[in-house]
Amino acid sequence: MASELDTIVAPATPLGRGALAIVRIDGPRSADILEKLSAVSPDARLATLAQLSLDGEPLDECIAIRYAAPHSFTGNDLVELTLHGSPLLVERVIAAIVECGARLAEPGEFTERAVLNGKLDLVQAESIADLINSRTALQARLSLGNLQGVLSRRAAAVRESLLHVISRLEAALDFSEEGYEFITRDDARREIEHAIADVEALAETYRRGRATTSGLTAVILGRPNAGKSTLLNRLVGSDRAIVTPIPGTTRDIVRETIEIGGLPVTIADTAGLRTSGDVVEEIGVARAREAAASADIILYLVDASAGLTVEDELASYPDAIVIYTKTDLALAPQGALGISVKAENGIDELLNRLDAIVRDEFAAAAGSLVNERQRQAVLGGKEALATALVALDAGLDEPVILVDLYRASTSLGLLTGAITQEHVFAEIFSKFCIGK
Amino acid sequence: MFDVIVIGGGHAGAEAARVCARGGARVALLTMLRDAIGRMSCNPAIGGLAKGNLVKEIDALGGLMGEVTDRAGIQFKVLNRSKGPAVQGPRAQCDRDLYASAVQQILADEPNITIIEDSATSLVHDGKSVSGVILKDGTRLDAPVVIVTTGTFLRALMHSGEVKTVGGRFGEPAAETLSDSLRDLGLKLGRLKTGTPPRVDRTTVDFSKLEEAPGDAKPRPFSIVTDALPLPQVLCHLTYTSAVAHELIRANLNRAPMYSGQIHATGPRYCPSIEDKVVRFAEKERHQVFVEPEGLTHPWLYLNGISTSLPPDVQDAVVRSLPGFENAVIARYGYAVEYDFVNPEQLDPTLQVRGVDGLFLAGQINGTSGYEEAAAQGLLAGINALQKIRGSDPVILRRDQAYAAVMIDDLVTQGTEEPYRMFTSRAEHRLLLGCDSVYERLSPVAERLGILDDERKQRVEQRIARMQRARDAAETSVTPDRETLAWLNVALNEKSSIARLMQRAGFDLAQFTDACENVLPEVAEAFRALSEEESDGVVSQLRYAGYIDRQQREAARQADEEGMQIPADMSYGLPGLSREMVEKLSFVRPVSLGQASRIPGVTPAAISIVRMHLRRGGNRLGDALSS
Repeated sequence: MASELDTIVAPATPLGRGALAIVRIDGPRSADILEKLSAVSPDARLATLAQLSLDGEPLDECIAIRYAAPHSFTGNDLVELTLHGSPLLVERVIAAIVECGARLAEPGEFTERAVLNGKLDLVQAESIADLINSRTALQARLSLGNLQGVLSRRAAAVRESLLHVISRLEAALDFSEEGYEFITRDDARREIEHAIADVEALAETYRRGRATTSGLTAVILGRPNAGKSTLLNRLVGSDRAIVTPIPGTTRDIVRETIEIGGLPVTIADTAGLRTSGDVVEEIGVARAREAAASADIILYLVDASAGLTVEDELASYPDAIVIYTKTDLALAPQGALGISVKAENGIDELLNRLDAIVRDEFAAAAGSLVNERQRQAVLGGKEALATALVALDAGLDEPVILVDLYRASTSLGLLTGAITQEHVFAEIFSKFCIGK
Repeated sequence: MFDVIVIGGGHAGAEAARVCARGGARVALLTMLRDAIGRMSCNPAIGGLAKGNLVKEIDALGGLMGEVTDRAGIQFKVLNRSKGPAVQGPRAQCDRDLYASAVQQILADEPNITIIEDSATSLVHDGKSVSGVILKDGTRLDAPVVIVTTGTFLRALMHSGEVKTVGGRFGEPAAETLSDSLRDLGLKLGRLKTGTPPRVDRTTVDFSKLEEAPGDAKPRPFSIVTDALPLPQVLCHLTYTSAVAHELIRANLNRAPMYSGQIHATGPRYCPSIEDKVVRFAEKERHQVFVEPEGLTHPWLYLNGISTSLPPDVQDAVVRSLPGFENAVIARYGYAVEYDFVNPEQLDPTLQVRGVDGLFLAGQINGTSGYEEAAAQGLLAGINALQKIRGSDPVILRRDQAYAAVMIDDLVTQGTEEPYRMFTSRAEHRLLLGCDSVYERLSPVAERLGILDDERKQRVEQRIARMQRARDAAETSVTPDRETLAWLNVALNEKSSIARLMQRAGFDLAQFTDACENVLPEVAEAFRALSEEESDGVVSQLRYAGYIDRQQREAARQADEEGMQIPADMSYGLPGLSREMVEKLSFVRPVSLGQASRIPGVTPAAISIVRMHLRRGGNRLGDALSS
């Protein structure tokens, strides 16, 4: 018989002083190890007080919870020890557990085991990491939703509609003598189009999903001395960038992250746009343009007292938010957004505006795609579906159309698991009376 | 002294015995009833969707089912004609008596086969290998290889209403003790159920009230050795159940063994009894009944679609509620049969029991249903038994090579919970498995094994050459300026090949060859040399070349995984593999990584772990497994 799965151990909370620290043991020997260290063998899921010691040497007093396979995070037998929050204690307890036959877990190994045992799908596993790394409430909400299966269910719904058309096309091939019309080509066409629309909608969520998990970048552009660094410092709430009356003070990009509309937004202050002849400043200007090209939001500042000049590049940034600065010196044009950091004018209005933009354009709903792997899976599905549609319209036979539909299922299956033969049969036999 | 003992003379046993004998082995064919050899227990038809492909595969490998069907066939029809060449399935209604006698004749003509009318009560074995069987009177029959093809006869129990009768087929006994031998060997057995409909005396039926269901106007034979079909072609008929029948059935459900709890075994979802249909699809107002003649002169009709185990009085009333059957007399009542099967995950891909040298199982004993499924297994088990006797490499066909390979791989990898039937949708590479290419795919294997007779070999070679000549001719370029191409009826703007023209919708081969006659005589000649079936095949191969290429590339990619061999003594105690994965892999003991990846519930992550482990070991399968 094959040897057993390793039993692994790792701290589940960060090493540091605190009231409590949790150590997790996973694998077939986890309960034995607990019993060896504490002489306690608690009922599953019953928080139990345990005195830990090894070879007569006391280690700590803790609360032990035993989970029995498959009803645990990993799907294996698992024990959680809630110790006192001392790094020293945690290290000694882990050393004792290793002495009892466990090995230290690799990073991510608990989650990997959960995936291997089918407790989590890949999307959910990815969501755990995202959840842990969340910096804002909105990010946490998205990740938690996906951990709870919102995205998986959404992808599964697309798969359902695909299964619907595949199973009927298959039935029409394998049970053509049953006297049923399982599906017409028009119906198939409609259902494939429907699936494409679903997949496109899913793919669409990626822009917001990525923005929400990774945060946004905003770039402040404008001519020298338009007040870019002053605005950055005001938004950040500290003197992050050097501010002088000398045009061209900012040469390299200065970045700071703040929360706007529930998302982390990294704001970049850039060199003022002009042709100076100064090599260093020219590089700074090039970098500013580069940063603007990949930014989610562009704040384009114009000195209200100077007005627009020939050096302004506003035409290159049609989506930019134009902000007139120094409105304590001159008024902004009618209807334009004007601010004065010095006079504290228009700042709230700007913040509200940014807040609205982030919420309306970037904040993702639960069930959004959040990484490139997920996006590729969806795009692959979309491409295969589109090919199937072309084949259908070209009058090709059903077996050929099905080749592409299965390809779509395989690609989308990277999110949720592909459609199997048994899924197809279960659908056919539950919907149609087969067997003439 | 025999080389092989085949237990059972059904469709699996007949193929197994025949191929072993052809290959030079001395074969004992053990049957409880000599006259029952080759008997069609269920409906009198061979082939159909996916099943027809199996019959063609059997023919290409030198088996007998196609040839026998041609001799006994009384209505031929290619199903799915409008659905594309890959999924077309030839089917033939047969005269059941002529079918069985043709099988018996062919086996009688094999000097290497000795037919013994007796039954095997147990296997002789030492736990690791088999060495013979014990007959009813205690006599021992020795052979290093035993192929068990007992169909539905293992501990078989027939149900007709409340009445239970021991037996595997009407009027025939069950094999009561052989199951114990299999259990002794540590094999896990399960129980399945199948059923038959009532047979009706044809003279009591008013055919004028039935719909006619004719066969093809130009019937196509199954076998490459058949030039002309010998028997006259007849009609089948259709009728329908009605609310009256459904009400009768509902009122008597408590007397149906499937509903009274008398039967526990699982029946096939694709072939439910009429009581099942009425219960599960209550909203359906009528169910089709396909009325099949049992033969040219046979007095019975087979009512396909109302398989049942209801008591006789209910069957009488149900049948008489069918239009045209008002005065019908049932000649044999329908019944259900429950039987033991061996969970096929315990077999290796040659259909040999894992860990019991020389013991092969084929047919319904492995959880399948259908004559064709049984015959294909019988043939491949026979081929591998033969190779074993010869001390040669096993023959394991690939999933992209034959439906038979898909079936065997499914069985030994996934097992089955209901009687397994072949469907085209089970084959992921089905575009490669059309009937048109079967001789190219499989006959070379049979030829290499020396089981293809000269006549067949010659015909196969000629066919392949003819079709190749036509494919080559289709590569001829045509240019748009030739006025003689006006017949094309499509705008031809640039130089193109005939093959490309065939990819256009509405291409008509007959029109094409007529038009080619003077302009491109060699092309016309190449296509005229083909039979209709062959030219359909060539046109479809050319038309779907892009898709076929893609499936071939995919299959080749997968062949890499298939080629990664897993040693028979592999221990799955690998870091990262959960207990569940270890259990699944250890039960099936896949021979290759590809097979491992198809085990239900084995995750891609688990496969990655096994792959990494194998890479360190670095085993690769030899050529023996690839064709």
